[in-house]
Order: sequence, then structure tokens, then C-alpha cells
Amino acid sequence: MNKLEFAGIALLSAAAVFSTGACAQEWQPDSTIEIIAPANPGGGWDLTARAIQRTLTEGKLVKKNVIVSNKPGGGGATGWTYLKGKEKNGNFLAANSSLLLLNNLLGSSPLSYKDFTPLAMLTTDWIGIAVKADAPYKSGIELLEALKKNPGALTIGVGPAMGNNDHLSFIQIARKFGVDTSKLKWVVYEGAGGDILMSLLGGHIGIATVSVPEMLTQHKAGKVRILGITSDKRMELLPDVPTWKEQGIDIVFPHWRGIQLPPGMTPAQIAYWDKVMAEVARSESFKKTIESLNGQVYYKNSAEFTKFLEEQTAILGPLTVELGLVKK
Amino acid sequence: MESILSNLLLGFQNALSLTNLLWVTIGSFLGTLFGMLPGIGPATGIAILIPLSYGMDPTTALITMCAIYYGAMFGGSIASIMINTPGDASAIVTCWDGYRMAQKGFAGKALATSAIASFVGGMIACVMVVLLAQAAASVALKFGPAEMFALVLFAMTAVVTLAEGKLLRGAVALLIGVMISTIGIDGQSGVFRFTMGIDILQDGIEFLVAIIGCYAIAEVFNGYSELNVVHEIDVKKIGRVMISKEDWKQIWLPIVRSTPVAFFLGCLPGVGGSMTSLIAYTTERQFSKNPEDWGHGDIVGIAAPEAANNASSTASIIPMLAIGIPSSGTTAVMLGALMMLGVQPGPMLFEMRPDVAWGVIASMFIGNIVLVFMNMPMVPYIAKLLALPQKLLIPIIVCLAFMGTYMMNYSTFDFYLLVLFGCLGYVMQKLDIPIPPMVLALILGDTMEKTLRQALVATDGSPAVFLDKPIALVFFALAALSIVYSLYQNRKVERKRKAASLETA
Repeated sequence: MNKLEFAGIALLSAAAVFSTGACAQEWQPDSTIEIIAPANPGGGWDLTARAIQRTLTEGKLVKKNVIVSNKPGGGGATGWTYLKGKEKNGNFLAANSSLLLLNNLLGSSPLSYKDFTPLAMLTTDWIGIAVKADAPYKSGIELLEALKKNPGALTIGVGPAMGNNDHLSFIQIARKFGVDTSKLKWVVYEGAGGDILMSLLGGHIGIATVSVPEMLTQHKAGKVRILGITSDKRMELLPDVPTWKEQGIDIVFPHWRGIQLPPGMTPAQIAYWDKVMAEVARSESFKKTIESLNGQVYYKNSAEFTKFLEEQTAILGPLTVELGLVKK
Repeated sequence: MESILSNLLLGFQNALSLTNLLWVTIGSFLGTLFGMLPGIGPATGIAILIPLSYGMDPTTALITMCAIYYGAMFGGSIASIMINTPGDASAIVTCWDGYRMAQKGFAGKALATSAIASFVGGMIACVMVVLLAQAAASVALKFGPAEMFALVLFAMTAVVTLAEGKLLRGAVALLIGVMISTIGIDGQSGVFRFTMGIDILQDGIEFLVAIIGCYAIAEVFNGYSELNVVHEIDVKKIGRVMISKEDWKQIWLPIVRSTPVAFFLGCLPGVGGSMTSLIAYTTERQFSKNPEDWGHGDIVGIAAPEAANNASSTASIIPMLAIGIPSSGTTAVMLGALMMLGVQPGPMLFEMRPDVAWGVIASMFIGNIVLVFMNMPMVPYIAKLLALPQKLLIPIIVCLAFMGTYMMNYSTFDFYLLVLFGCLGYVMQKLDIPIPPMVLALILGDTMEKTLRQALVATDGSPAVFLDKPIALVFFALAALSIVYSLYQNRKVERKRKAASLETA
């Protein structure tokens, strides 16, 4: 944003402040609130958007109607571009996730978090590394030792494409332990979680790096063994699985989902939504919905979220370049 | 055995409640509708209904979703038969003989055959789910990338046999299909292939767009050339919607033969209804006494693939229920919705929530019966569509084709592709290059390449990986056999042709 534009926004918001009179600092949505799910119903973005909608409506956290609109296409691009066009309009929100960041870093999407106003990180899945139950590795370290000795000893299932959370988190973990990650053998499954687990159960791959909810039931049924997870502390759902941190590898890697506003928000608009989203993250019904999907509420407000995105870009940007994953 | 019966009884008690009966009917109806409309497949259909399922009991929700799924298998063939446009990917094969049959004035019979075959296939598959769910699930796990590659390779060679007497042309079509399927980002390396700087092509070409183009749009071009011809269609003939005893005698064995194979293939991850119906079609054609009729309106050419796609859709819920892993896009959507409702499908479902698991299985029996009773009376009305003059029918087909295309990715770029493939299909027809091998290579090419590379990772690229995989070797042998078979057939046809030309000379 150049200075002139900024001045313009400042003037406009000043005008708005004056026109609304005494309760000037407060900003309120002035018409129906639209939460954009940039995908078809049923996917992660849609479920997040609907969970937020339900909490907002049931908890009477906002005074206006809330609707969810599905704008699928282009791996999120259609919906997000639509949001980008709503500059300065605080009645529009869109679900987002780590894909926004990664697709931009990998060069497959021109849209970055800088094109929007990050509002809140709301939920996360953690990523687990698992082997089949009859494999000899009992801890994450044992597995990493084996890979350090021979990086090609086991094939690793990842999906739906290289360069995603599951792949990058594995690389980071392995590097911190001193594994030569250039020699790892990756098997890419486009069908992601389901196909990878079928292959792991059938013994066609040695290791799976998959988000925890997708393999929770298999772990509980004793078919696969999750050796380490990328969370900051142990998950309530998986009390028997240690984090990588506990095993001496300092890494926390969320597969997060959140929500963003159009670009050009005023501080008053951000303050309003920050307050509302904090309520959402605290609400029991939101927690219950997310947990029924085996996810976890993981809240960061607008400022923290923005900072997190900057940090992630700083770490993952060079990593994706180094791994040769970036398309020109 | 006894425990199976008592479980099934529990299931029926659950499934026969008034609410569940109502929903299985609604689901079946909507499924038929979604299946009929090109572009809206079962996965989209189920996704649209997810918000509705929030307040439902989990069993009811799952019953409804399953009903939509197999309902779509019933409905998909209707568009194939009537307008040569598959309503759903798994109904492509039904175009080949279904549409020709309708053109000959047997639309009613074609629709009836499709409904009956779907019903019988579905029912047999239900029985197999009851008896074999666990066993089938564990066999499915034995299929890794190497086995899948061999299976797909076999399916590809089977397609070439369809181009009887035109082996070379069939192979050309096949290769065009494989080439088109390589367009897009390569998942293994992230390299852009043949996108020619067009960003939208990075996700590759949606094969349904190509199919709708090659069939529907090409058909429109054909129809345009005879725009003013009014088809005299005997409405009474269409009105006859039952199949005769002779027809039944012809189709029962192919149905019974195709179903178990399709059932098993349906359990495998990534094997959709299109592949199973294709394998059923090519296999049955080789068993047929008059293979030269196939592709020109053979009744078995409708019955076998329709039974197969229903059986495979029924079977595809097995990995979801028994292992907790979705094996297709549609079941993945179902799984997500179920988790929202607090049911965790998986190895423990049958023990923890037998009412859900068995309720769903029981409901599939009911759903199939509902569907056949719902579909049969509709047949004469749908069949009358053909009596519409070309001037009306063509715009309807164009409209449906464009709508269906847009619904898939919400991308207007696909419209260009649609027209492009329409032209390609038309030109191929004129040049007498068979379209089926191209279309199927398009569907399977991607899987074939991926599974090959997945398999080769383990051995650093050495094909030795296949040697200790007996299942893979069996499929390789079958593939070789079907190539030999088509060579043999090719020569037979050549000889016949020569003989014929000698006679005339």
C-alpha cells in the first residue's frame, strides 16, 4: 500500500468515525455477514466456515445474519480472489489454512497472506509420523536412527503432493536429527491420507507422514503406531504418543486453519473481529464441533497470526527453494 | 453364520424404521437425479446434502448418503442412453451400446435393462458385503502400487481389444489419451508438463470434460448435419419398457459373472466405477458369441457394465466401514460427514456401533428395491425425450453439457476444452478412429503412471520390484493374453475382409 492510498483510507475511516458520532471507536458489521468457504461443501474449509457460522449465530456473538457461501475452484483461489475484491469491507470473511501460505511459497498461487488481513488462527491438526504396528521401531528416535544409518531403508508415503505440511514437517524433523534428507525415498499419493494408510497397512510403504486425525482410529485399533507428533504438548486424544519436542527434537508444526478479512481493514474493524473470534475460540460448542472432527482449537489473534505467518514464511520459504520445490 | 443373521436382523430393525425408510427413498430419488445430470456426481450430491445431515441420527445420515451413491449409479446410465452423455463417470461404458440401442428405437428396453442389471448387481453385492466385508477388506490391502499398476495395465490392454479389426487405430487413440493425461503438474517431482504457459492447465484436464466433449458435443455436431430430419419414433414401441424372456436369458449370466469381479475391484482404493464397468464390458465381450454387435446396441453391453458399477459402488463402502479408510472421493466425503456426527468408522465400528454398521448394510437391500420400483415406471416418460425434434434436443444437450462442465470445477476455461474435445471427437469419428480407447486412457493414464512410479521408488527404479509380487504377475499375464487375443482377432477380421473383397472381385 502506498502512502497516498494509506492517507485515503485514513481519511475515509476518519469520515466514518465522524459520521457515526459519539460511539466513534466502535465498528459493527452493517449488513449480512458472509463467510466464504473457498471450496465445495464437506471439505475442511467448508466445515470450519460452518462451525464458525454456527457458533456466531447460536452464541449471538454478532447482531447480523451470518451466511456461508461456497466458492470452490482453483485450490481456494476463486473464493480468496472474491474476498480480495471486498477491500475495506468488514462484512466479509473467508476460511483459510496453511495451504494459502504453502501454495504461494511453492509458486503455484500468486495470492499470499499479505493480500488479506489475517484475522485468527482457530484450529489445527497435528502431523504424525507412523509405522505399521509390526514394525520394529518403538520410538521416533529409533526410526530416525535407522534413517540416519540408511536414508533409503524405508519408503515414506506422502500426499497429495510434495511440499505440503506433512512433507516439510518430516524434512525438518529428519534434518534436526542429522538425517541426509536428500536420500529419502518419497512415494507420493494423490489421494493423501486414505491411500497412504491403505498402503502402510498393506506393507507397501514403510513410513507414513499424515495428519493425526486421519490415522487416529488405526492407531487406537493397534494397526499402526504413531511415533511422534508435531504438537507443542501431548494431545488429549492420544495420551500415549509423545511429541517430537519430548523426544528432543525441537519442532512444533501445526496444520492450521483460520479465517481472514479482506485487505485494508481499519484498526477498529480488526479490534471488533478480534473480540468476536476470541469468543468463538472460547466457546464450548465450537470446541465440541472441532473435536468431533478430531481437530483441536488453537487460537491466535490477528497480530499473533500475522507474526506466525511471517515466521513460517521465513523458515519454509528458503526450505522449499532448497528442496527444489518452487516453480518459477 | 448365526451371528451374521442376528446382526442383519438388528440392521433391518434399524433400517425399517419409518424415518430411515423415508430417507432411503429420498436419497435414492436424489441420487438418481444427481446421477442423471452430467457433472453432478455422487460426491457432489452428497456434499450438497451435508448441511442437511447435521441434525440427523448417524445411521439415517449414512443410509441417506449411501442411497444417493448407488442411486446415482442407477441414474448415470439414463443420460448415457438418451443423449450419449454419461451422467456420471462410471456410466461412460453404457453410452457405447445404450445410446445405439436407443437410436434404433429400443430406448425403453435399454433403460429397463440398465435398471434391472443395476438392481441385480446391487443385490448380489449387498449379499457379498454381508458375507465377505472383512475378508474383502483385508485382500484389498494386498494391493499396493505394483499390483495397481499391473491391474491398470491390464485394463488398458483390454480396451484395445475393443477396437476389433482396427488394432492400430485403437492403439493410436489409446496413446492420444495417455498423452493428454500427462498434462499438468507432475505430483512426484512438481514439474509442469505440457501446460504451455497456461496456468489453469496445471491441474490437468478433467477427464469428464473430455468425455462430455467427445460424446455429447461430437454428437451435437453429428445431429446438426441432419438438423431437419424428423425421427419417426414409434411411441408405442418406447412404451414397452420390460425386457423379454429372451433378453433375460441373454443377460443373466453376464450380470452374475460381472458382479463378483466388480465387487472385489470396488474394494480397492482408487478403482472407480468407470474402471470396473469397463473391465466388465471388455470381459463379457470376449465371452460373447457375437462380439461384432457390441458397440452397435448389444443388450449385454448395457447389462454387464451397469451391474458392475452398482456392485463396485456398493463395495466401495467396505474399506470405509471395515478399515475406516475411504477408497474414493465419494466415500471420503461420507467419512467427513460421519465424523461430524460423532461416528468414527473403522475397525471398531462393527463392535462399538453394530446398529449403525448393520443398519446401513440392511438399508442397501431396501434401497435397491426402492430404486428399481422408482426407476421402472419413469422409463417410458424419459424415453419419450427421443421423440423431441432435433431442433429441440440439440440445444438441450448443449445446455446440459455446458452446465455439467461448469459444475465440475467452476472454471470457464473448461468450456474451451469442451468444444475442443467435441471437435476432436467428431474428427476421430470421421477418420474411423475409435474413441473409447482414448477416453479410457485418459481416465486410467494418470493412475497408471503414478502407480508405476510409486512402485519403482522402493527399488530405485528397477523393475525387479514386480517380480516378487504374484498378484502383479497374474495381471501382467492377463495383459499379455489380451494383446495376443486382439492380434488374433485382428488377423481373423483381416482375413474375412480379404475373402469378402475376393468374392466381390
